[in-house]
Amino acid sequence: MAFLVLGRRVWLGIALGALLVNAPISSSPAAAAATAAGNTIAPFVAAELLRRVGFRREIDRLRDAIAIVFLAALSSMLISATVGAGTLLLSGAIPAGDFPGAWAVWWTGDAMGVLVVAPFLLSLLSFRGPSKGSWKRRAEAAGLFVLLTLATLAVVRTHLHLLFLVLPLLGWAAWRFQQRGAAPGALLVAGIATWAAARGLGPFEGGTLFARMLTLQAFNATVAFASFVFAALVSERMRARQSLELAAAGLETRVRERTAALSTANERLTREIGVRREVEGKLRERERQLAEAQQVALFGSWEWLIPEDRVTWSDEMYRIHGHEPQAFPLDLARAVEQVVEDDLERIRRNTEAALRSGGNHDIPTIEYRIVRSDLAERVLVGKARLMVGPTGEPLRMVGTVQDITDDRQAEREHRIAATLQRSLLPDRLPEIPGVTLAARYVPATTGLEIGGDWYDVLQLPNGHVGVGIGDVAGHGLPAASTMGQLRMALRAYAMEEESPARVVIRLHQLVQKLPISEMATLVYLVFDPDSGSVTYANAGHPPPLAIPAEGDPSYLQEGLAPPLGAAPAPDLYTESVFQLVNGSTLLLFTDGLVERRGVSLREGLERLRNEARAVGPELDLLCDHLLGSFLGKDASDDVALIALRPIAFVGEPLRLRVAAEPRALAPMRHTLRRWLRSVDADPEETYEIVLACGEACANAIQHPYGVGDGVVEIDLDLVGGEVRVTVRDVGTWRVPARRDGGRGLTLMRGFMDEVDVETGSGGTVVRMRRRLRAPAR
Amino acid sequence: MNDLARVQVEEDSGRCILRIQGEIDISNAREVLSTIQASVPNGAQAIFVDLTETTYLDSSGVHLLVMLADRLRVRRQELSLVVPSGGPIRALLEVAGVPKVIPMRDHLDAE
Repeated sequence: MAFLVLGRRVWLGIALGALLVNAPISSSPAAAAATAAGNTIAPFVAAELLRRVGFRREIDRLRDAIAIVFLAALSSMLISATVGAGTLLLSGAIPAGDFPGAWAVWWTGDAMGVLVVAPFLLSLLSFRGPSKGSWKRRAEAAGLFVLLTLATLAVVRTHLHLLFLVLPLLGWAAWRFQQRGAAPGALLVAGIATWAAARGLGPFEGGTLFARMLTLQAFNATVAFASFVFAALVSERMRARQSLELAAAGLETRVRERTAALSTANERLTREIGVRREVEGKLRERERQLAEAQQVALFGSWEWLIPEDRVTWSDEMYRIHGHEPQAFPLDLARAVEQVVEDDLERIRRNTEAALRSGGNHDIPTIEYRIVRSDLAERVLVGKARLMVGPTGEPLRMVGTVQDITDDRQAEREHRIAATLQRSLLPDRLPEIPGVTLAARYVPATTGLEIGGDWYDVLQLPNGHVGVGIGDVAGHGLPAASTMGQLRMALRAYAMEEESPARVVIRLHQLVQKLPISEMATLVYLVFDPDSGSVTYANAGHPPPLAIPAEGDPSYLQEGLAPPLGAAPAPDLYTESVFQLVNGSTLLLFTDGLVERRGVSLREGLERLRNEARAVGPELDLLCDHLLGSFLGKDASDDVALIALRPIAFVGEPLRLRVAAEPRALAPMRHTLRRWLRSVDADPEETYEIVLACGEACANAIQHPYGVGDGVVEIDLDLVGGEVRVTVRDVGTWRVPARRDGGRGLTLMRGFMDEVDVETGSGGTVVRMRRRLRAPAR
Repeated sequence: MNDLARVQVEEDSGRCILRIQGEIDISNAREVLSTIQASVPNGAQAIFVDLTETTYLDSSGVHLLVMLADRLRVRRQELSLVVPSGGPIRALLEVAGVPKVIPMRDHLDAE
C-alpha cells in the first residue's frame, strides 16, 4: 500500500515497521528479521508487479481489479506466507506437520489484507477534496452500509450457509458508488466475516483452523474480487459513456463551429459577389453618365493619331456637328470641314505652330464656329494637347470641344433682361408733395437670372398717390417683359380709374388676354393725403404693412384675391380702406424679403412685423435696416420694397418742387390746401391763395403743348398771421398768354394783399402775401 | 373724358344745360371747351353752364367761358352761368370781370 502511494524508497520504513511488529511475537531476533524481510519483500514485489502492468490506484478498470487480486494478493503474498511459515518451521515454533496450516493462514491473511484493506485505503484517497455527492446520494450510501452491516451480522450468526446473501448488497454498492462503495463494503463484510471466523460463529462453527481459514479466505476473496471487478466494470462503462458523450459533445461543437465558419465564409462570398456586382454596375453607370454628361454639357472629345492621320470622335462630338454618332470615319481634313473659313485658318495656324514647337504641350483654347448641314451655326470652344514620341516626333493630339452656342444666347438674353429690368423700374422716385418715399430693389445674387419684381409710384390727378408693387414669377427676359407690360398698364389704368379694385380688375383682364404664362401678383393702393385713407386691392401679393410711429405694425390683409389672371371671376378683386394714423409708415414689399427656405411665409411676415416696429423718421434707414436684417449674403430671389409716409405739417413752411407741366398743378393744389388747412386758413382764403399760386405757376409752366422739363419751386410760409408765397421758376418769364386773356395776374392781384413779380436772367420769382383773418395758432 | 373735370349735358325744351363737375385749369381747359362745343346742339337757344359742382376754376377756365360765350353769340345762342353767390367761384368770376360779359344767376331756375 505504502509502496504504491509513496514509491520504492519507503522500503526501509516498511521493513523497520515489520521488524518492530514481529520482534515481540517472534521466538528470536533472527526469526523476527526473517519474517520482517518476508513481509517487506512481498508488498515490494506486489507494488513492482502492479507498477509494471500499469495499475491505477482508482481501480476503475477491469484489468486493475484482476491485477490486484491475482498479482498483488494471491501471487505476491506467496512470498510472505512461505518466508513467514518457513521461519516458524525452522525456528521450531511449529512442528513440521502444522506447516501447511500455518502457511495457509499466513497466505490468506496477507492476501486478505491486500484484497480488503489496500483497496479501501486506496479508495480513501479518492475521497479527498470536496464531496460532490448530493444529500440523496449520501443517504443512499448510509442506508446501504447499515443494511450491509445488518445483513452480514445476520448471515454470520446463523448456522445456515447463507454468506452469499451479502453479495447483491455489495453489487449494489459497487454499481452505485464504484470503488468508493465497493472497497469499504468489502472491508466491512470481510471484517465481520473474519471476526465471526475467529469466534467460530455460524458457518465457521466446527472444523479445523485450516478449513475455517480456507472458507473465510475463499469468502473474502470472492467478496473482494466480485466487488472490485463489478466496480471496475461499472467505472469503465461509465467512463466509456462519459468519453463517448464528451466525444459526441466535442463533435457537436466542432460541427457547430465548422458550420458557423462555413456560413461566415458563405456570407463573405455573397457580400463579395454583391460588391463586385455593384462595382460592375457603377462602372457601367459611370460610362453611361460620362456619355450623358457629354451630351448634357454638349461636350465632345477627340483624338488625332498624327502619323496615320486618323481622327476619332466621341459620340457627342458627332452630335455637336449634326451627325449620327460614329456615322463615318475621319481624318483631319474631314474633321474640320464644317469649321467656318476664318476660324479654320486660325485653327490651321495654331496646329502648325504646335507641331513645329515640339514637346508635349497644351494648345491655346480657341473659340470657333461651325456650320451644320442644316445650316445652323454653332459656337464651339476647343482645347487640345499635343503628345510627342521619344525623339520629339508628334504622335497624337487629344482635345475637347464644348458647344457654347446656348450660353452665348443666354448671356445675350441676360444682358437684355438686365437692361430691361433697369429701364422698367423708376430710376428715381417722383417727388410727390405731401408724402416722403423710399424704395429699394435688390436683384437675386445666386444665379444670374433677372427677376420680375417691380414697383411704381404715381401721382394721381386728384392729388392722391398711387403705389403699386408686383412680382412676376419666373426669371429672365419673359418675366422682365411681362413686368414691363404690367407696369405700363397700371400707369394707364390708374390715371383713368380712381378705384384700386377697378385698376386691378382691368389688369386682370389684360393678363387674361396676354399670352402670359407666369404668375403675376400685385398690390395696388391709393393714398389720399388729405384724409390719410389708404384704399387697396390685393391680387395674391404679400399684404402691405402699416407701421405706426408707436405700437405694433399691422398688415393690410383684407380683400386678398388670387393672382392676376387666376381669378375665376373679376369681382373677386375688391378693395378695402385703411386709415393711416399720423406719423405712420406704409411698407410694400415682395416675397423675396420675407421668404426663406425652411421658413414659412407666416413666420417671415411675423418677423417683418417685429423688425419694422418703431421705425425712425428716415425711410431710407428703415429700408436699409430691413434689407440688412432679412437678406443674407446670397439672396435666392430678388427683393423690392417701397416705403411711404405722409408728411405731417406742424407749422412748418411748405417747400414744393413740381414739374413745370400742366398736369402737375392739380396735385400741387391738394398739397397747398392741406398746408393751408393746417395753418387755419378758412375755405375761402384757401381757395383764393391756391388760385393765386396756381396762376403764378401757370405763368411759369411752359405752354401746355410744348416740351417742358423745368421745375417750379413753391414755398409757403406763415409769418405773423400772414401767408407768404414764393413761386420761382428757372425758365424765362413769358408774357401772359392769350389762353387766359391776361386774367392770371389780375386774379393774383385781386386775391392777394401784395404781388411782386421779379424777372431776372436766372428766371422769374413771384412773391405774394395774404393776411389771414383768423390768427394762426 | 378727363381725369379732372366731367361735363354733363342736359336738354330741356330749347334749353341746354352743361354741368361741369371737378376742376378746370390749364391742363384741361381746352379739352373742356371742345367737349362743350361738341355737346351744344345748334337748335338750343339758351345755353346754361352750371358751375355749382365745379370745385376749382382758374384764369384759363375764365378764358374758356369768355371764348365760349363769344362763339355762341356768333351762332345766336346765349350763354348764361349758374354760380352760387357767396362761393369762391363767384368771387373769382367777379374779380375777373366776367359778369360784365356773361349773365350770371345763383340757381338754374331763378331769374
